[in-house]
This record gives sequence, structure tokens and C-alpha cells, in this order.
Amino acid sequence: MIDLGTTLLIILYGVTLGGIYALISSGFTLIFGVSRILNFAHGAFFMLGAYLSIIFLRSLHIDPLSSAIIGIFIVGIVAAVGYKLLISPVLENKTMTIIITLALALIIEQLILLSFGEFGISYPSLISGVVSIGGIAIQIQRIVILIISMLTLTLLWMFISKTRLGKEITAASQDPEAAILMGFNIERLFILTMFISAVLAGLSGVLWSQVYAANPFQILNALIYAFSIVILGGLGSVKGSIVASFIIGFIYTGVTTIYGAHMADLVALIIIIIILIIRPTGLFGVEE
Amino acid sequence: MKRILWKPTMSEIGYLIAFLGLMGIVPVFAPSALLYILGLTFIFIILSVSWDIMVGYTGEVNLGHTVFIGIGGYITALLNVPTRLVDTPFSFIMSLPKLPIFITIILGGIGAALFGLLIGAVTLRLKGWYFALVTAILPLIFIKTTLVFSSVFGGEEGFSIGLENLIARTTVGKYYISLIALVVCLLIMYGIANSKIGLTFKAIREESELAESLGIDIFKYKVIAISISSFFGGIGGALMVHYRGTISPDLYDIPLMLLIILAVVIGGLGTVIGPILGGFLIYILKYWILKGYFMTLIPYWLPINDDIILYSLLIVIALIAPHGLWNKIKKLYVSI
Repeated sequence: MIDLGTTLLIILYGVTLGGIYALISSGFTLIFGVSRILNFAHGAFFMLGAYLSIIFLRSLHIDPLSSAIIGIFIVGIVAAVGYKLLISPVLENKTMTIIITLALALIIEQLILLSFGEFGISYPSLISGVVSIGGIAIQIQRIVILIISMLTLTLLWMFISKTRLGKEITAASQDPEAAILMGFNIERLFILTMFISAVLAGLSGVLWSQVYAANPFQILNALIYAFSIVILGGLGSVKGSIVASFIIGFIYTGVTTIYGAHMADLVALIIIIIILIIRPTGLFGVEE
Repeated sequence: MKRILWKPTMSEIGYLIAFLGLMGIVPVFAPSALLYILGLTFIFIILSVSWDIMVGYTGEVNLGHTVFIGIGGYITALLNVPTRLVDTPFSFIMSLPKLPIFITIILGGIGAALFGLLIGAVTLRLKGWYFALVTAILPLIFIKTTLVFSSVFGGEEGFSIGLENLIARTTVGKYYISLIALVVCLLIMYGIANSKIGLTFKAIREESELAESLGIDIFKYKVIAISISSFFGGIGGALMVHYRGTISPDLYDIPLMLLIILAVVIGGLGTVIGPILGGFLIYILKYWILKGYFMTLIPYWLPINDDIILYSLLIVIALIAPHGLWNKIKKLYVSI
């Protein structure tokens, strides 16, 4: 049976994982909501955040926090430039958008694989140390990650609902044509959203590689989880994505603790397929 | 009477005979290593064209075609090595008489088609992106199943089906059998694509609202398309297993999916002929040219491999010729 300590562990690990998933999937759903782009390179931006930060850490000899900030910012730039060069020309063609972003993701995967190898690399902790809660040892790092992800999600929410630019993004996602008629510069909004979306992915990549490990295969894995979460939460709903992230986070850590990691992937994904059959529009989704 | 299949024109029959004649004499002069790759290329073309039936003709992006390929492969492999099913609900298959390979390959196709029907019935009701997202998730689930139930599926390494279950013992024999399989599958798929059903698929892709207002049940036709597409995907996967003599999760995996996408996009979505050309080009390029000569030219310190070259090629083609080479060739032909 599961004792209290294990339950506490599942809850704490579940929120950490859920927080990271929430960052990944809210970025994914944000760009989808605004531009209807299914960005298959989102998982690549996630790992690029971790690997670029590692590169800067090693080459510039700076502290982990500064190199993470530079790394995450550059991921945003890469995504914005990538959008302008590769996605914008085929924006009207749904099939080609998917194919191009998927190919981009696999190129980044191969580049990382060739440069760093297939083994996982961890990013140094921003804060080390352990606290004891209810008799179990918990790394402070995990609590920091939880705080960072909550803070970022709150900032994202404030940006979208309180600032003019954020309101423009919301307006564009609700009715792109009307937004164009109102004189919005849609292209600029898309580039900006792509930047924000990739920054969220890059940040979650850095956080991920502190508790788990950065690994080129995480690109597709994270992408699949982002898909699953946005389907569960409802495509295009940031709120739905965040709720779904924590649901998946808890299921994943729960099954991992009890049955092992192989089972966790299987169970989490099968549950998503079942939910999809019962409620295809997801928890907060609207039918197209 | 409704026309179910198309009636071939004289020029189409001419092209077919020319293709058969050309491919028929290749074994006379080609080295055995090339022959082996060509035989696999034929199967790969079946996979590419079957993907095109769904994606090119209805416009729904199927990113999980490898799931159907893998299902076809694992069904035929397990039916031929039923001892792996011991201690499973399917262990009764061990006591049944062994079916001929030909039948188990067809059963692989049927199993894949049934799964395709199920997935289509669940996801195609919703317009938009759900089909692409769900099919993108599926390969990962199926790869996981091979690892979790490794006593049956053989885990990461897969398992061997034994020499007696190969489609032929010699490379030349394999070559001819996969050529025949290709021609049979292509005739059926080309026939469907040019029949009334194929035209309905195209109508759905081009003007889905207009098609709906004309009383065409879009959902039904998309489910038909995915069933046909997954059937031939399953057949292709099963053939691949009996060609190579082994099965492993790579049949489910993303690199194969990307290779298929690349072949179809380069050839031209929704054309059948395009994916045939694209399939030849890409498979030979990857396994003969890039793996053989080309990679030795790249300096070791440059982080580039054959996959990066192929994926970059895919992006370039998608940007400059999203309608593929076959449509470009046809346009040139018309303008002359």
C-alpha cells in the first residue's frame, strides 16, 4: 500500500512535473491559439533551451543563472527567425506547416545528438540543498522550480489579460480576420507570440534539465506530452493546458512511483486517448 | 452502374508494361546489394502511396502511419512465430495450423485497417487538428508497448521470424516478389484514387464545405480513406518483415514516418505517381548514395549526417515546391 510519505512525494514531484509541463504546453497552445500553427518544433525549443544554456555555461564561464537567461532568450530569437523564414511563407498551407516544423525539430534533434551524444546532461542547480518535510527529504531545487513556473504562468496571464499587446494577442486568436480589419499588424503579433511561446519552452527545458536530464530524445517525448496535454485541456485554451498539465503530472509521477517509468508513459497516453474518445474537445476546449 | 474502379487508358497500360519491362531486367546487371535495396524500395513505395491516399487525397495529415505499418508487421511476425504468444490471451494461436505467409501478410493489412477504422471513427468527426495530433501521439504509445510487453514483441531489439518465413531465399527472388507486390498494390490504389471514391476524396480536400452541401458525407469518406490507407500500410509493413526476416520497433518510429513524408512531398501530394517517383528517389538517396559514398565526403568535425541532409531537403522542397515534383513535371509537359 502507499504510505503517507509516498503520497507526499507523489504530490510534490507531481506539482514540479506539472509546473514544467504547464510551461511547455501553455506556450504550445498560445501560438496555436493565435496563429493556428501546430508547432511541431516546440519540443525542440524546449531542449534547445537546456542545451544552449549548457553551451553558454561552458564557453562563457558565467554563472548558471545568467547563461540560462541568455540561452532562453536565444531560443526565442531562433523561433522568431525560424517563423519568419520557414513558417510565414507557407502559413496558409496546414500540411506544409506541420511538415516543416517537424523536420526542423528532427534537424535540431540530430544536431544535438551529433554534438552532445545520446546521454543525458544535467544543468547545475541554481540552489542546492535539501529540506525535510514530513520525514522525507526534498531538494530545494524542486521547490524553486515550482515557484519559477508559477511565477511565469502568473506573469503570462497578466501579460495576456492586462497589457495592450496581450489583449491584441487575445483578440487575434479569437478572430484573426477582424483583427486584420482593425488594423492589427498580424505578422508582428505572430512573431511576438512565437518568441514568447519559445521562451516558455526554453525556460521549461532549463528547469527540466535540473531535476531530470537534457537528452535529445526528450524533443519528441516533450512534444508528444505537449500534444497530449493540449488535447486533454482543449486545443487553444491556455487555462485548460495548465489544468491538464497538473493532471498528467500527477498521473505520471503516481504511476512511476508505483509501477515504474515505462508503465507511466503508457498509462498517461492511454488515459489521454480514452478521454479523447469520451470528450473529444478536451476539458476546456471549444469545437472548431 | 456506379463506377467503382477506373478504366485504364492505353497510355497507362503502356507505362505499366514499360515499368515492368525495365524493372524486370534490372537483376541481369545490377549488383546484389543494389538489388536488395531496390526490393526494399518497392515496399517503401507501397508505404508512401498508401500514406498519400489519406493525406494527399483528403488533406488530413496522418503522422502515425508507421503505427499501421508496425501493426501489420507485428501481426504477421507473431502469426509466424506464435510461440512468442505463450502466456497471453492469444496463446490459442499456437495450436492452430500454420498459415501461409501470403495469408498472414493479408491479415496484417486487415488488422491495420481495423485499427485505422477505429482511429478514424474517433478522431475524424472533429474538424481541424485533432487527427494530426492524435496520430502523432500513437507511434510513441506503440513503441512503449513493445518495451513493456517485451516477452511478446521482443523489446527494442525486436525478434527474428526465421529463414523459413522469408518471402524468398535469394535476393533476386525477393526482388521479384516485392516487385509483384508493388504492382498489385499500386494497381489497386491507383484504381481507387482515380475512381469515383478518389474523386470524392479530392472534392473533400479542395472544397469541403461545398462537398458537404452536395450531400457528401465527409466523415464517412475520410474513414474510408484511412481504412484503405492503413490496410496498404499494414501490407507494406508485413512485407517488410518477411523481406528482412526481422521485426523491431523501428517500423513504428518517426524516422520512417519522415522518410515517407519526404518521398510523398517531393513527388507531389495527392498524385499517386508522384509518391512512386519520390519513393524511388528518397529511398535510393538515403540507403545507397548518402549511406554509401556521400557521407565520406563530409569532414568528421561537421555535425551533419544523412538525416540532417534529408530533413533540410524536405524543408527546402516544402518551401519552394509544396506541390511536388510530379506536378512541376506535368506543368512543364503541358506548357510544351
